[in-house]
Amino acid sequence: MLGEAVRVGTRQAPSRVLFGPHVTNLGRGRAFSDRHRAYYAERAAGGCGVIVCETASVHPSDRGYERAPLPGWGAIAGSCGGALLLASLGHSGSQGTSAFTGQAIWGASRVPDVVSREVPQVMEQPEISALVSGFAAAAARATADGLDGVEINAGQHSLLRQFLSGLTNQRTDAYGEDRTLLLREVLTAVRAAVGADAVVGLRLCTDELAPWAGITRDLSLSWFPSPTRESSASDERAGRQPFAHLVDYLVPVRGSGLSVSATRPDAHTPPGFNLSMARAFLGRGVPVVLQGSVVDPSMAEVAVREGFALVEMTRAQIAEPRLVAHVRAGAPERIRPCTLANQHRARDPRNPLITDETEPRSGHETVDPPLPRSPRPRRGSPLLVVGGGPAGMEAARTAALLGRPVRLVERADRLGGALWLAAALPGRARFGLLVEWWERELARLGVEVCLGREMRREELVGDVVLATGSAPSPPTFASDPDVRVLPAAEFLAGAATGAGAGGRGGGESAQRSGSGGTVLAGGPGLPAGAAVVVHDPLGDWTGVGVAELVAAGGLRCALVTPDAVAGTQLARTGDLADANARLERAGVERVLFSRLESVGRGAALVRDVHHGATRELPATVVIDCAHRLPDTALGGHPRIGDCVAPRTVHEAVREGRRVVGC
Amino acid sequence: MLTEPLRVGRATVRNRIVFTAHLTGYAEDGLPTARHAAYYGERARTAGLVITEEHAVHPDDQPYEHMIRGHDPAVVPGLRTVADAVHAHGSLVLAQLNHNGPQASGMYSRAPVRGPSPLPDPMFREVPVELTESDLDVIVAGYAQVTRHVVAAGLDGVELQCSQASLVRCFLSPATNHRSDEHGGPLRNRARLLLRIVGAVRAELGDRVLAVRLGQEEGLPVGELAAVGALLETAGVDLLNTTIGVATSSLHLVEPSMHTPSGYATHVPSAVRAAVSVPVVAVGRFTTREQGEQVLREGHADLVGFARGLVAGPAFERACVGCNQECVGRVGMNRALGCAVNPRAGRESTLGRHGSRSVTPGPPRRRVTVVGGGPAGLRAAATAAARGHRVTLHERGRLGGQLALAALAPGRAELGFVVRDLVAECGANGVRITDDEPELDAEVVVLATGARPARRWAGALDVCDVLDGTAAPTGRVLVVDELGFHQATSVAELLAQRGCEVEVVTPAMVVGQDLGLTLDREGFRRRAHDLGVRLTTDTLVTGVGEGVTLVHHPTGRTRVREVDAVVEAVPPQPADELWETLRGRPGVHRIGDCLAPRRMDAAIRDGERVAVAL
Repeated sequence: MLGEAVRVGTRQAPSRVLFGPHVTNLGRGRAFSDRHRAYYAERAAGGCGVIVCETASVHPSDRGYERAPLPGWGAIAGSCGGALLLASLGHSGSQGTSAFTGQAIWGASRVPDVVSREVPQVMEQPEISALVSGFAAAAARATADGLDGVEINAGQHSLLRQFLSGLTNQRTDAYGEDRTLLLREVLTAVRAAVGADAVVGLRLCTDELAPWAGITRDLSLSWFPSPTRESSASDERAGRQPFAHLVDYLVPVRGSGLSVSATRPDAHTPPGFNLSMARAFLGRGVPVVLQGSVVDPSMAEVAVREGFALVEMTRAQIAEPRLVAHVRAGAPERIRPCTLANQHRARDPRNPLITDETEPRSGHETVDPPLPRSPRPRRGSPLLVVGGGPAGMEAARTAALLGRPVRLVERADRLGGALWLAAALPGRARFGLLVEWWERELARLGVEVCLGREMRREELVGDVVLATGSAPSPPTFASDPDVRVLPAAEFLAGAATGAGAGGRGGGESAQRSGSGGTVLAGGPGLPAGAAVVVHDPLGDWTGVGVAELVAAGGLRCALVTPDAVAGTQLARTGDLADANARLERAGVERVLFSRLESVGRGAALVRDVHHGATRELPATVVIDCAHRLPDTALGGHPRIGDCVAPRTVHEAVREGRRVVGC
Repeated sequence: MLTEPLRVGRATVRNRIVFTAHLTGYAEDGLPTARHAAYYGERARTAGLVITEEHAVHPDDQPYEHMIRGHDPAVVPGLRTVADAVHAHGSLVLAQLNHNGPQASGMYSRAPVRGPSPLPDPMFREVPVELTESDLDVIVAGYAQVTRHVVAAGLDGVELQCSQASLVRCFLSPATNHRSDEHGGPLRNRARLLLRIVGAVRAELGDRVLAVRLGQEEGLPVGELAAVGALLETAGVDLLNTTIGVATSSLHLVEPSMHTPSGYATHVPSAVRAAVSVPVVAVGRFTTREQGEQVLREGHADLVGFARGLVAGPAFERACVGCNQECVGRVGMNRALGCAVNPRAGRESTLGRHGSRSVTPGPPRRRVTVVGGGPAGLRAAATAAARGHRVTLHERGRLGGQLALAALAPGRAELGFVVRDLVAECGANGVRITDDEPELDAEVVVLATGARPARRWAGALDVCDVLDGTAAPTGRVLVVDELGFHQATSVAELLAQRGCEVEVVTPAMVVGQDLGLTLDREGFRRRAHDLGVRLTTDTLVTGVGEGVTLVHHPTGRTRVREVDAVVEAVPPQPADELWETLRGRPGVHRIGDCLAPRRMDAAIRDGERVAVAL
């Protein structure tokens, strides 16, 4: 059913899968670009039914990020074949920034955003009128440019939500007495601008997770009264049926300025988390789109059977542009799993291009060559790949696709390499799914896999690629032998075994443990009563996750970081605040602004990075989450992945492809 | 002395003022722009020598989005406009060349970073690939190639960055160079790459100027820098520039805030100058001609470098106060360089030929009433008067508004220079400043009436009460920080200095969150530690009564704290009563905090914008 056509307003979408609006930074300045065009076209060609572009700002007062697009869709119109292509229209209001306009940001009331703390200018009637006209003009432009319609953004990141919410709308005028008034005016103006023929969708925050003043599910449900009661023109005038007659579909989303990470959370939140909320909107006179970390086509199928018109699978299609095509072909097992790790979000001041942890071509469609869709005839020269982590597996997979006979040799007794260590961390079990996917791909493509075999230098003959991974770095602190110093990987290897994540099917069980929160007990290999210090000079997911595992085992744990917060690099994934709160609740002491100097005699000596004061922490075990070093034991052949420089899956995959010419 | 010409290599610099290299974020698609040309041209009126921001010598080196691709021949036309803009004032211009080595990220280049040894940089935290001899050949060739582009564009020479953030400094410093080959160990080995680059660049430069910038850091004491300086002189380098600190671990030394006095780095050029006979440049938060004169008089250097000083006042007409809000703070966030006190900085290319000297004379003279003498009102009045309007500024209280108050906090006195300079500019432009009732029937009325304390909790004080002396709390004081900038931390320091037992509490994850952007965090944490100020995060104040109720929001843990005083640093309320009566009338404008309470830079920008539009 997912691959079947569906009516959206007066138009027909070729499938029931929607690609939602998100920041890409693919623009040239603020204009939609050839990079956008290729990015969206790739998903359309892969079978996506509705593509909603990156949200454009409808008024010059809003520039939420440097490349926030302006209205004008000529560069991407006509790129998506039969798929419906919609413009997302929005205004970030008090969640925006004055950094690019140099002017005060706009808000419903004088409530600063919790993150930026910028106090907005309170909108008066001239600004409100200009905003409504801005939406209408942008909508007219979108259809004139040849798009199928628009989606109005009243979601988590929007001025329209700020007007709907008691958190941010404290007005005493008509827009405060009826907080739905502005959205009604906008939708009415937009519908008038595009006519009955174009699609008008609504992305609406239906739960701000802030019941003391915010939009609640009950409140938002009241905006969509059940049509069992005869609705009438007088209902519409009275505001009892404010939106449904104006829009062709509704995407309920959750989150507010207080919980921005709740809308597209990482895998600490289970997939499909919005299901029960969105279900409440079924049968209320408007087609409903299910959003919320939906990455599994079988979950999407069930949702469609249940009555959802469409299912938003945004990150799943960043990871796998051909998701719908694989479903249609009856081969969902070929879909490259989305990690939901959020490591390549583009909403970041550095303006990174959107891409994916395991599909590095995403966002780079205009520069990276595509992989062959089906394997070429096997006529190429043989290739030996040494190392079965992500780099080696992708090199083997790509070479096989290009028609080369490939032998992949791995020293461990299973494929996956460092992926298993990633998968052992709380909230990252989906990395285990990647191993299973690569195993299936290598089997499908006829790659010869040899496990448990350490290669010697003299065995490296013919075309060889080295993907031998990394090794721990020596500790940067002095240590006495009475305190055990354990590299994070060694600890996690124990955790992975303890979780039963090893071997076939392990990914699934690990996934359950990750999403259900039942992490393993009794820090693996750590004695009862141990006092553990987690040394985290990097501030990524490893230190935080290791500390969580240790604390879950009931052991005393302190995390030592040079930064102002634990896991500073998690700002990009959206997990930063949540991660620090989890550590607090788990009783992990965060030792901030500190460097570990030495360990011994049951204690760790830490020094403040600014004022130099020292402190002793009880320590019988130190888990060192410092950087790793390339394993360079073998040489003389091209290297890829961590044995070049230890990085992430993304770089490993990219180098795995490039080394064989893709 | 500052105005005397100086021979540098085969060239002559018309004075001793150097506009030193710094990132601007003005590049587009990695190429220099008209914005660069206008920006440097404006400073070349004053500086005899301009050194551009760095130019990459290898495509894999892209630590930030707007790095200039010096290795790409496409830079030549843009560089030529930069050269022309500087030469128009008789000044010289060097392009800075650099490879950031491991002090970088592979995010933009999609390639691993490279360095002398596989040690991750403290900020970027990526493990570099150890460079081989053939990799180094490519990099050296890159320096030569960029030099060819610089020569083709008609610049007067190059400066090699061997400081702050560079591969060459990573080779030079034993802290980052752990090699055991001919590039590791003794200084001569660690300097081998630098000297190779100097040779390759000199071969392309002919007799143009070759400068090298050296920096003191933990692993490189001044004695060693002096020795490097001597090696460089022998190798034919014409000019030695200096600095202090490492961009990715001690940036607060490279571009310190107003808490650090001018001249803090003078020992570096002094030591180098003693070892060489080529001219040496001193830097160190110099903001006035007088400071420059003094450095030369005392014999520390032959030239004086100014960066922020000339950004704020291209002709020293207004002081840089080291607030770091719009220069360092913006560039650190991948945004184009601006200036809190000079709203035209970086916008010279859109302001017409006269840049910041004069603003294009406006349409007919109009009668302008400005209500409020804070930074917004003063800026609006000064600019409107410069455009020929008849301007009266009405202020019943102190000129400078909240800025004048903020200047009373420890270490923040230089904020007073902003007020001083604005008032002086108003005076020079003929603004009438009065405490009379404002003439609200003027053709143009600009409301700049500011904001007043919110007074959220009865019984609590506002930071303004403490600074203006209306309140002098003693004993145990709780300072509530919801602004994340200097307001809470300044008052905490002030009260702790007076002997109070101070705790700063914030709902945010960090006390004084934005102090990181302005490089004030290190200093604040050191001073707070010395004063015994307690810093508490993730905590909301939910009530002020008998005791103060504190809720630790990640856990919901509630505590009641007994204190003698509570001081709030929370968003103030606009004082917009006049707007309530004048709203909608043509010719009435609102600027600064009475529109939306923000920081100094926003007030000044609002004032400039409204006046330019009159």
